[in-house]
Amino acid sequence: MGFARRFFARPATVFGSVVFLIIVIIALGSPLMFAHGPLSIVGMPLLPPGSPGFLAGSDVIGRDMAVGLAYGARISLLVGISSTCCAVGIGVLLGAIAGYYGGAVDDLLMRMTEFFQIIPAFVLLMVLVAFMQPSLGSAVIGIALITWPQVARVVRGQFLSLRSREFVEAARVIGMGDARIIFTQILPNALPPIVVISSMMVGNAILTESALSFLGLGDPNLMSWGSMIGSSRVAMWVAWWTTVLPGLCIVITVLALNFIGDGLNDALNPRRRR
Amino acid sequence: MKFSYIAMRLVKTVLITAAVVLLSFFLIRAVPGDAATVMAGQAGYADEAYMKGLRAEYGLDQPLPVQLWRYVEKVARGDLGTSYVRRQPVTAIILERLPNTLLLDAFALLVAAAGGIWLGSMAARRPGSAGDSAVTVLAMLFYAVPQFWLGMMMVLVFAVWFPLLPPFGIETMGADYTGLARVGDVVQHMILPGMTLALYFLASYARLTRTAMIDVADQDFVKTARAKGLTERQVARRHILRNALIPLVTYAGLQASILVGGSVLVENVFSWPGVGTLAFQAVQGRDNPLLLGIFIVTAVLVSLFNLITDIAYSIVDPRVELG
Amino acid sequence: MLDRRAMLGAALAYPAQAWAVPKRTPGGRRIINAMMFEDPAHLNYPLSNTRIMQEICGNINESLLLFDWQFKPQPNLADSFEMSPDGLHYVFHLRRDVLWHDGVPFTAKDVAFSCGVMLPQLNPRSRASFSHIASIKTPDRYTVEFQLSQPFNAFLLSFMASSAPMMPAHIFEGTDFRTNPYNFKPIGTGPFKFADWKRGQHIHLTRNERYWRPGRPGMDEVYYRVCPTPEQRLVAMETGAVDIAMADDIDTIVTSRLLANPKLVTRTDAYNGTGEIAVMELNMRRWPFSDRRFRAAFLHAVDREFLVKAINFGMGKVAHGPIPSDAPYYDDKVLTKYPYDPARARALLDEMGCKPKLGGVRHRFGIMMIPDGGGYWTRNAQYIKQALAQVGLEVELEAVDWPTQLRRSGNWEFDCDCNSYGEYGDPAIGTSRFYLSGNIRKGVPLTNLQGYVNPEVDRLFNQAAVAVSRAEAQACYSRLQQILTHDVGMLWLYERKPVFIYNKRLKNVVMGPNGPSDGFGATELA
Repeated sequence: MGFARRFFARPATVFGSVVFLIIVIIALGSPLMFAHGPLSIVGMPLLPPGSPGFLAGSDVIGRDMAVGLAYGARISLLVGISSTCCAVGIGVLLGAIAGYYGGAVDDLLMRMTEFFQIIPAFVLLMVLVAFMQPSLGSAVIGIALITWPQVARVVRGQFLSLRSREFVEAARVIGMGDARIIFTQILPNALPPIVVISSMMVGNAILTESALSFLGLGDPNLMSWGSMIGSSRVAMWVAWWTTVLPGLCIVITVLALNFIGDGLNDALNPRRRR
Repeated sequence: MKFSYIAMRLVKTVLITAAVVLLSFFLIRAVPGDAATVMAGQAGYADEAYMKGLRAEYGLDQPLPVQLWRYVEKVARGDLGTSYVRRQPVTAIILERLPNTLLLDAFALLVAAAGGIWLGSMAARRPGSAGDSAVTVLAMLFYAVPQFWLGMMMVLVFAVWFPLLPPFGIETMGADYTGLARVGDVVQHMILPGMTLALYFLASYARLTRTAMIDVADQDFVKTARAKGLTERQVARRHILRNALIPLVTYAGLQASILVGGSVLVENVFSWPGVGTLAFQAVQGRDNPLLLGIFIVTAVLVSLFNLITDIAYSIVDPRVELG
Repeated sequence: MLDRRAMLGAALAYPAQAWAVPKRTPGGRRIINAMMFEDPAHLNYPLSNTRIMQEICGNINESLLLFDWQFKPQPNLADSFEMSPDGLHYVFHLRRDVLWHDGVPFTAKDVAFSCGVMLPQLNPRSRASFSHIASIKTPDRYTVEFQLSQPFNAFLLSFMASSAPMMPAHIFEGTDFRTNPYNFKPIGTGPFKFADWKRGQHIHLTRNERYWRPGRPGMDEVYYRVCPTPEQRLVAMETGAVDIAMADDIDTIVTSRLLANPKLVTRTDAYNGTGEIAVMELNMRRWPFSDRRFRAAFLHAVDREFLVKAINFGMGKVAHGPIPSDAPYYDDKVLTKYPYDPARARALLDEMGCKPKLGGVRHRFGIMMIPDGGGYWTRNAQYIKQALAQVGLEVELEAVDWPTQLRRSGNWEFDCDCNSYGEYGDPAIGTSRFYLSGNIRKGVPLTNLQGYVNPEVDRLFNQAAVAVSRAEAQACYSRLQQILTHDVGMLWLYERKPVFIYNKRLKNVVMGPNGPSDGFGATELA
């Protein structure tokens, strides 16, 4: 209960949580909210928001913007959350092993993370997605592959400092195997920083996915906020809403996630407020 | 001692670059799409004999290890191969575009650093005030804004609605300006993409500066300086700011790889003829030599940049010893 | 559908352009600035005739004749010409003062080489037109005599610059046309000659000082500047950085913005000579495309009025047959039309045995798209996919790049593809090639890719081409239109009237129905 109190301490976090909840509801409920899908052409193109039957206007081919925005939420959340889960999974595993065993394994991990720091990550992502053919799956895997190093670094740091603690020594003395020590003893204590950065990671993954879709490297059969912006590049000159509205959705979602991240930080790392 | 450290870092750079080359070579070869097909298509026809000739010309019919060795040999000599699509040497293509990206990055870095430090130090001076909250909120906002969308909003406001600034390219097409007129033209074109790149990093700098300065302000030597009777401004400038620069310099080092990669989006929106656009075109056109060349050049540049920032780090904080 | 903000922006753009616009006549040189979305592969128009090559080479290469707005032949490189009453013998008297850009005189040898060797070898359209030639004689340096094996009433129309540009024999004869270095520095007789080519930046043409027409060209330089994205091209036109926007340079989405611009002139007749129809082709070797009822159902299922009005912002006109409505020989009375009627479409599909299976899908097939980066082709395909879904036809849109598109369409590896075909002045030149069974050639684009075979149609096209009287030709073409529309010989979507926009500072930019294909020789400062 102390957790909830600390988490909701800031008004910003409350705001962020509420907004995020609304977005999740819209994402899940969109098939029920609308009679037609986001790709259906239902009217004249480039109708401004507020036109009869088109709350958010229509896009360059006559699709309902409101439906597109709602379905776009599904894509963003799906990719954001899945890729973060994958990245955390990989990062925790590799970081734990490196941090616990140290030595050559640790060196190898550090070199790998340096490699990812030096290559322009987004260009690497483009190559990966092209390799796997643009789709939802390739976006998730690609984003996971370029973000796991930061998780691994944090986990490794935690393990390095925790492995020499007394409770770990005690576990070894009573004969616990390495795997059990890692997963049942050290990991639970190493997790708080991961949880904090994970909501930021979801937000960043959403930004990255929208960048991929914007460039045309997203799933060609699905409508996402990034692809809506990407296909409005010419239309923007005569219809501002085709670009502005999907972008605002991204900003609001990522902002909400960042506020939630701040709340998690408050809850899990109680420190003097700055 | 300093020189041996630098030498060691240079060796490390070479090793990491080699790893980059190796891994990238295999990865990029794995992307589907045969280069010969692409090139034949460019010429407008695709008969088998012509494509066979192309494959032989580019050494694509050799076994993979041979191709790799040939490539490594050439890279060591500074030859990054020939672009499949443009039929020009990759080194020349990249060197032609690199200054444009560096120019944009430098502009963005300057604006971001200057603006961020100014905002951050203002906020740190009066923590908890309305101004401080405003800076924090703005920073949070810019973290959530997709860069490419920010760029498009700039175009929307400053070119579509109120035509004040040119939204595309680096120079006015067909004008052939020289001298000062050309400089002015380029600067005009640089403003929108530069501001787009800068605003995101400005937020980071502002937050970092603010946090660092608040941290430092509490430390003993600052309190001592105040006790000695120095004015608030003197304290801020001489002590706090100088020490707060340390995390900033570290952050700048991290930025290097983000700038090249991140500029893909900004360059794309503003059709800025830089390395980012080149990378995007290379991925789309399956232009493997060009893509590989960009990876390598970026790796070298980022490593060098990290080395420079480390040296700067040691200058700013005399307590840090290199090596 | 004009957005008020766009109008405001447009209004603000012109008096208050805040950033630099280049000087219009630097150093007194009169420059035309045009655009291209990417560098062409080369500048040998007959080798692979894309639109941009056609437009650039129109300044460099000329043909024997020019055509006025009524499609009547006018002298060009040929000073005069005669045709024998039986239509078998044509004589062209060439001008004696024409020089190639490298100074070599233009003679009958060049004509004989171009029409006899180079063009038929490289260009399918020329091959078809010139296949009627039995022999070419050059009795003297400036006379060319064509003997035809049968009368071909569209023979003269073949001599448009866009169909039969004259190529220099002394450069190309005996060489491998594909690898000739002059493909990148072309030599012609036209008002402008090739100056330089900076890949990724521009192609620069400069004034032909020894051009045979007195007082021409009216300008000194022509630049084709690379402008890859539609937004860039829009801005370039609005700021005046570029003077001319040709056919597909400006996306139909924003044409309204330029139409409202007081500094620009818009013309929709600059491509009348092409007579273009946007179509979809079905691979008739596969079921169900081989059944005419399927093709009829396709046309009934798609609301082509909506396609033109909404998806293409009103730019175009629904096409009901193989011949454009304002072209010669068009006969509205005989056409079988297929209005938007999804119920009728479903009935036809039921009738032919293409019934809905599990999930309501009657048939699944692919539509190969044109790589236009999200432009009107992509939008057309997306709308058609949805329209067909409503009658139970599930479409997969196949995004390909140009090399793949050319390869797959040439090798018949497609279910349905998109294209747009020009008539080029006479059905015998531009239309017949898609329906003649003799023009089914694997691996060659712009041929009868569908595999449509109808001996009656073959007979009629051949008869029409050699008909001596216009009435006879009209009778054949009317019957052809009747048969082809009943058969649904192709999926005709709409007639394209590409928009040609230019800056008011220029005049005499569009001089005939071939527009830019005839070059900018007559253009002057206004």
